[in-house]
Amino acid sequence: MKKGIFSKAVLKLLEENGIKEDDIFAASPVDMNTECEYADGFVVVTLEKLAIITSPPDITEVRSFKGYMTKQTPLQKDEKQWALKLYELDKVEALKTELQVACSVLVADIDGITYRLIAFSNLYKREMHKLIRTFDRLSAELKSGDKKEGGPGGEFKKDEDSGLSKEERLEKIKTYGKEEEGEKNEYCPICGMMYPDRSRKVCPRCMDRKSIFFRVLGYFKPYRGRIAVMFTCYILTSLLNLVWPYLNGTILYDKVLAKNNEFLKQFGIEDSKYITALLMVVLTMLMTRVTLIFINMLQGVFAAKIVTGVVCDMKKSIFGNMGKLSISFFRSRQTGSLMTRVMSDADRVTGFFIDGCPYIFINGLMIIVSLVMMFSIKWQMTLMVIFIMPFVMLIGLKLRPKVWTQFGHRHRAERAVNSQVNDNLTGARVVKAFGQENRETNRFEKNNLRLRDAEMSIVGTQNLVRGSYSGIFEFLNISVWLIGVYLIMVAGEIELGVLITFVGYIGQLQGPINFFSRIFHWWADSMNSAQRMFEIIDSVPEIREAENPKTLEDPKGRIELKNVSFGYEVNRPVLKELNLEIKEGSMLGIVGRSGAGKTTLVNLISRMYDPQEGQILIDGTDIKDLSFKSLRRNVAMVSQETYIFMGTVEENIAYANPSASHADVIRAAKLASAHEFIMRMPDGYDTRIGSSGRELSGGEKQRISIARAILSNPKILILDEATASVDTETERDIQRSIAYLIKGRTTISIAHRLSTLKDADYLVVIDNGKITERGTHKELEELKGTYFKLMELQRKALSLRGVME
Amino acid sequence: MGRFDRNRGGFDGGEDFNLEQMEKETEEMLKMRFLDKKNAEFKATGGGFISLKVGDEEYKRVQVVRMFPFTDPDHYISIRTSDENSKEIGIIKDLKDVTKETAKLLTDQMNIRYFTPVITKIINIKDEYGYAYFDVVTDRGECRFTINMGGSSVVHLTETRILISDVDENRFEIPDVMALSTAERKKLDLFL
Repeated sequence: MKKGIFSKAVLKLLEENGIKEDDIFAASPVDMNTECEYADGFVVVTLEKLAIITSPPDITEVRSFKGYMTKQTPLQKDEKQWALKLYELDKVEALKTELQVACSVLVADIDGITYRLIAFSNLYKREMHKLIRTFDRLSAELKSGDKKEGGPGGEFKKDEDSGLSKEERLEKIKTYGKEEEGEKNEYCPICGMMYPDRSRKVCPRCMDRKSIFFRVLGYFKPYRGRIAVMFTCYILTSLLNLVWPYLNGTILYDKVLAKNNEFLKQFGIEDSKYITALLMVVLTMLMTRVTLIFINMLQGVFAAKIVTGVVCDMKKSIFGNMGKLSISFFRSRQTGSLMTRVMSDADRVTGFFIDGCPYIFINGLMIIVSLVMMFSIKWQMTLMVIFIMPFVMLIGLKLRPKVWTQFGHRHRAERAVNSQVNDNLTGARVVKAFGQENRETNRFEKNNLRLRDAEMSIVGTQNLVRGSYSGIFEFLNISVWLIGVYLIMVAGEIELGVLITFVGYIGQLQGPINFFSRIFHWWADSMNSAQRMFEIIDSVPEIREAENPKTLEDPKGRIELKNVSFGYEVNRPVLKELNLEIKEGSMLGIVGRSGAGKTTLVNLISRMYDPQEGQILIDGTDIKDLSFKSLRRNVAMVSQETYIFMGTVEENIAYANPSASHADVIRAAKLASAHEFIMRMPDGYDTRIGSSGRELSGGEKQRISIARAILSNPKILILDEATASVDTETERDIQRSIAYLIKGRTTISIAHRLSTLKDADYLVVIDNGKITERGTHKELEELKGTYFKLMELQRKALSLRGVME
Repeated sequence: MGRFDRNRGGFDGGEDFNLEQMEKETEEMLKMRFLDKKNAEFKATGGGFISLKVGDEEYKRVQVVRMFPFTDPDHYISIRTSDENSKEIGIIKDLKDVTKETAKLLTDQMNIRYFTPVITKIINIKDEYGYAYFDVVTDRGECRFTINMGGSSVVHLTETRILISDVDENRFEIPDVMALSTAERKKLDLFL
């Protein structure tokens, strides 16, 4: 909740209805009315009331969403006709948001009727979530007010609250409701806009391109020496290029071919030895060319060395940071595309720095020097050049953007073609099985034609650009020739060689001018790439190790969950106020339908995610305080998603413990019932598996991951549907090994097949994020609840199989 | 919560297993029940939702969900229970199968569920560092929102119909790109 979010009019309205600003426990702005029309409004919770304030809908107003929202954006205007609806807090039940396809509505049961109280866009879902949580706590507190323990709100009470008086507890809820959720980080400090992405605290509008530029330069630092060589090459090249027209024009035509004796004297050549002079000029010209080629080669070699080095360093830091990022990062983005893009971004950025940056100076210099030379030769002709230059730039600025959009089109068309090829390769079996080859070919044809068209339009525009460029330069050349010829023949002011030199300089100008017309786009493009790259490099993992992490000395494996709530997205809680204790050395079975939150629960224990509320303790220590090393060594998970890395069977089993001996690996494999199938493979434990190697079946992969977990010898073992994809016989084998394995360990096992859990000491049934039943097998069976029904169901299914056979 | 039997097609447990019953249940599960003005009675509740009476079943509140929200919004509308694990009560094959009043009631519910402003004019689009900033006029007023360029924020429903989701997944729609002016289309070019 932001401070001072209410305008005077709203405050007055609240006060008229008996609500002072200090009474407010939580408030959330909304941007729609009940009928989903854009309007302004608030939901306010106090000790006694739930108030809903709305303005009439107004479509003339501009709606700002995230990325446009500023701290100063007024949430309400005083002159509006505010309406207020009040509900008694104790009459309001089951206050919650219901997610719609692209907005949310706040609903509650009042006097037995479900009301749609208000609607709001996704912009405010966090604020509303907070308000509802505050409401829940508050009403739980109020309901349990008279009773000492238990009661309907018992589960909301926290241990640490037990010693507090009611007033203190209320105060605590109020502080909770009013605390701002990372509000200071949500807005860009420079422009005040709300960050488009909370987890990525960069403001795209204010991102300083200069600072990115210098940061990229940092990557070139280790190559200073080589860069110096390259720069020398660049400068030499441009100098030689500048000399060339002079050699080729003035000296050759006007001095040597014109038989200028004085000129020859300067070089100590006797009079009339024109052939010698000519030879010398030709030789010099040849030498210049050869030197140019040599320097270019040298430059190429050094550029290649620098580029590959820098790209390699960049990729290393990207990949390095990628590994540190939390699972949520990969979950929230289209990881694949982002990663591959970032990898090619490194190339693009470096390319600009090598092929673009230095040329800004060199080409700038070339233009200036050429112009100076041309001016000194004949200013009248130079004026012609200066007159033409804006046209050239204009073509560049007008036509090029078109090419870039077309490049974008081609890129997308290309992607469509590629993804279809990929799609059909992976789905080849389905395509064939349903006989849809022709349709797929047609679909491909469509994409392919689009790619062709995109390609053709690029070629078209490029030709246009090239054509107009050379047209303009031809025009320039011809006019200069005309003026030159006039100056030679009629005015007699210059000689032929001078004209040739001059035209040579015009030729020299063409490249640099062309370069400058595209440098802006190039620069912006490469800075964009650099920014994406730094985004990954700078991303801070959501799950961080504590500053002075504790290690588990002599771990026991007792796990406690206290009031744990978690959701991958706000408003969509997956686990709600969960309390659970798992005794050391015991086996806990978790049952529940898919999507109930079982996997989420074990993900929290292994700290793939942090709970939004509550704590998880191992041996009495909050796992947030444990070092990653200690936590990961003591908690191993075999999940339903198995992953086999590229490498041998042995490397895969010893993944968590690469120094394990052969004997250890074999023992682990035997325990996981993997030894036999491994030995049936031709290369035994040295068989290469993973993406490029031998294909394993689902059950085989699973057994390898079980062996991997066994070898890491954890105190806490999590089996998340570990035997889901093996056949009944193998399952029995694995069951046997698990029975052996769980000795001396705390085991959490999730399974659909209840038979898998027959060794569990204790079972919990999770439904909708809550534990609905808990107890031993016997207790749960006697309870005749979900567990019992599940048992019955599976028994029936088994007997059904009997009937069918 | 915890009504396992409801989620798994009505196994009630307890009674002895028999194949006939199982077949009956399977049939029940696969059956499509069509609702129309003859067999179903929809009413507005006081709280802004609608209730349903079908045969001797009564539902205090139902959800109205399109099966083909983009391609066929007026046909195949699923009427579902309103709890978290909602279950289908029946299907309205065509909005014309119910009375005009009922159709209006249902449409109002769906308008909230599928709330999507329609973009009628593009004032400006600016892309910068992985985000694109939109300033557009919609049928619900001018909106300024931001999308992520990396992901699938812009979806082509057809060649000319575009669905845009902003960073918070608020949706906006352009029903026909060709209806925009050339200048506007040019601004949108990046996404076409």
